Amino acid sequence: MEFVAQQIMNALSFGAEYALLALGLAIVFSIMGLVNFAHGEIIAVGGYTMVAMAALSLNNPLIVVGAAIFAASIGAVTLERVAFRPVRYADPTTGLLTAFGVSIVLQNLFLLLVSPRPIAVTSLYFLEWPIPFAGLRISSLQLFETLTTIIVIVVMMLFLKRTVLGLAMRAAALDFEMVRLTGIKANRVFATAFLISGVLAGIACVFIMARRGSVDPHLGFDPVLMAFVACVVGGFGSLPGAVIGGFLLGAIEVAMLVLLPQSLGGMTEAFVFGSIALLLIWRPDGILTPPREKGDKQ
Amino acid sequence: MTLSRSQKRGLVGASLLAFVLIMVGIIASYFGSKYQLRIVYGSYVSLMVVLALQVFMGNARITNLSHSAFMGIGAYAAAICVTPVAMKKISLPSAPWGLNAFALDPVTSAVIAIAITAAIALLIGLILARLSGIGATIVSLAVLVIVHSLFLYRTDIFKGNQAFFGIPQVFTLTSAVIIAVIMVYVVRGFKESRWGIALRASADDEISAAAMGVNVHRLRLLAWVLSCVLLAVAGIAYSYYLGTISARPFYFNHVFLTLAMLILGGMRTVTGAVLGTFLISFGLEWVRWLETGPHILGLKFPEVLGLSGVVLGSVIVLIMALRPGGIMGDREIEDFILKE
Amino acid sequence: MLVVQNLNVFHGPIEAVHGISFTVKEGTCVSLLGPNGAGKTSTISAITGVAKSTGSIMFADEDISALPVETRIRKGIAVSPEGRRVFANLSVKENLRLGGAYNAANVDSLIAEWFETFPILGERRDQLAGTLSGGEQQMLAIARALMSEPRILLLDEPSLGLAPKIVTQIFTMIERLKEKQMTILLVEQNATLALRLSDHAYLLNNGQIVADGTAETFGSNDALMAELTGLA
Repeated sequence: MEFVAQQIMNALSFGAEYALLALGLAIVFSIMGLVNFAHGEIIAVGGYTMVAMAALSLNNPLIVVGAAIFAASIGAVTLERVAFRPVRYADPTTGLLTAFGVSIVLQNLFLLLVSPRPIAVTSLYFLEWPIPFAGLRISSLQLFETLTTIIVIVVMMLFLKRTVLGLAMRAAALDFEMVRLTGIKANRVFATAFLISGVLAGIACVFIMARRGSVDPHLGFDPVLMAFVACVVGGFGSLPGAVIGGFLLGAIEVAMLVLLPQSLGGMTEAFVFGSIALLLIWRPDGILTPPREKGDKQ
Repeated sequence: MTLSRSQKRGLVGASLLAFVLIMVGIIASYFGSKYQLRIVYGSYVSLMVVLALQVFMGNARITNLSHSAFMGIGAYAAAICVTPVAMKKISLPSAPWGLNAFALDPVTSAVIAIAITAAIALLIGLILARLSGIGATIVSLAVLVIVHSLFLYRTDIFKGNQAFFGIPQVFTLTSAVIIAVIMVYVVRGFKESRWGIALRASADDEISAAAMGVNVHRLRLLAWVLSCVLLAVAGIAYSYYLGTISARPFYFNHVFLTLAMLILGGMRTVTGAVLGTFLISFGLEWVRWLETGPHILGLKFPEVLGLSGVVLGSVIVLIMALRPGGIMGDREIEDFILKE
Repeated sequence: MLVVQNLNVFHGPIEAVHGISFTVKEGTCVSLLGPNGAGKTSTISAITGVAKSTGSIMFADEDISALPVETRIRKGIAVSPEGRRVFANLSVKENLRLGGAYNAANVDSLIAEWFETFPILGERRDQLAGTLSGGEQQMLAIARALMSEPRILLLDEPSLGLAPKIVTQIFTMIERLKEKQMTILLVEQNATLALRLSDHAYLLNNGQIVADGTAETFGSNDALMAELTGLA
């Protein structure tokens, strides 16, 4: 019984992180059709900011966390302004390739300007301690992560339902031109979308760094890949889909870790992706969307 | 068989490109050091991959990110078949299904490898052909990751990130040049064939094309399988020259590199594929040389590890922003020589 | 209020409208009539800034031809576009809120007003706009446009695809707007209805103005009317 509860906790926290990452991707994609592969590098920006904070002897955890989230947000908005604006209205493929290019440039800039080696970040170790609870040993980090993600989701939902900018973003997902025709500035909508994705990346960064303890130029690759898969599973561009996809991915991963016999232990990733593949065959547009005939009335 | 005007132009264009490829091959063979020969061979293999990419992406107008995976499938399939038993017993001691107990000649191995790749391509293509635009791209990315995971984790068959060695090195630069030349004709031929034309037409407006009786799915599938077959050949050329392969080259970096080559030259034309490949292959070598901190005119330049990545990424970003059609845009090489 | 001169509108490399000129005086209703493909919607697109164009567009004595879409709209231009284009994934109320996005002070009272004028919108206030009927969507599109309390309303094909009874409702609504001295530029294929409301009308064909005049001028020209209603 404890074992099951423990695994559920694992699945929740894995899922929470993937959901957080996936939301960052999904919010940008839903509005501008851009698969932002550079999202991982935004996370790395947060990580390197933490290094900078440590170098400046600013070890107050609030400052470290705040700085990381701040840097990630600024980084994201800057990217939009500098790299993605020229391809804003281009087709999704152009955007995707641009994002790929930006990602490679950033990874190599980290290599070039900082260091090819991982750099330790210890200021967040305090976040993780075991909490004995009803016979389980939960990591506080897992708890924080799950709770934070839930709060983030709620805040985002409120933002999207209650604020004009949030409404504009939801509308823009279907008809961006019409949003402009109601007088709402395109620049503001895009910048906000990237700002949100930056904040999400920063928050995810905090948890990733607390667990890993170090940052390197290629830090962003694995997270963005998982975010991507989660989005695909949930239906690319759908925000609820991103959340569901993230939690589902977490659940599948934990399930594979638990169910696979010892001998196949190293195969977890392959099985996870295999399951995803099967899922995609059944629902190519993602879990939430039944396969649609093209030409159907929108 | 009478050829249409564009098909005749295509023949001219392909022949021009073939001439260039042969010339480069001859110059490299006579004047190049062993090290340089390897680079040139590598660029020809890249060219094969980029041509394969062009056949699908240039005609179906869908970005494919799984091509390195198919190259890997072809490479591994051929490698497993052709490597002598003695070698395999050492490198794949626990291979299942008796894979380490037989060895075939290079030609049969190549044929089997192509057949296997084509079969897998067909299966995946059946799903992919029904999706369009970003959906297909996303699934192709998933395919890349899945195949790579399989390579990494079935180390009993593939040896993962460790080197799979002992492949007989039966190819030389000449072989690569010949294959590349044949591919140029095939790819250009497809572009000017009725399938290529129909596919391009339907890429822009799928529903209208379908309404006119064009079977879009089947055309896409055709281009897809053709593309994957060519990728398998590229993979075979890769393993038959190097003698060792591992899982690492068949993943994101390679995807990105070859994509950059196609985009720089222009994905709509075969000339673009050739141009972009050579520009980046040789340009990158030059940048890599710069990276190592060379001595130029008595000055020691600093080591700038990562410069090649920055340059490559910037090339992509700039092209997408300023000239998405690539250097060649819609023009093929014969447009410079023949009049309209 | 709106003076357009020598307008050429481009869709990519294709020129859809060739050098037309027309005027919409304040407080009047002007119609652009003509068959499918005449260039009426292209003209609207050029005024809002969505389509590329050359020529001069003066709005309230200001040249807006170089301004981006959002800036033009904020100067007091509102549009109910062809096909209504309500935000299908937002509720009726949310659609209206977006329409009044930069008119923050009055939003709530305006919404209440619209719900009173159109009880059906009020009934469906929390319903997704995409689930409304064609006529309800048209009402919503016009209400949304008017949330910004604009100086001119561009109406593109309000009768398109609607049943005659609904069309009458919509045009009654437009008539009421006219009574309130709203400046309106109306694009319509249904010439009869449009002429009933308009002070002035222009007939477009193949991207050029082939006739213009008051409603009476059109009405008394039998040949023209026959052509128009034949096409309508």
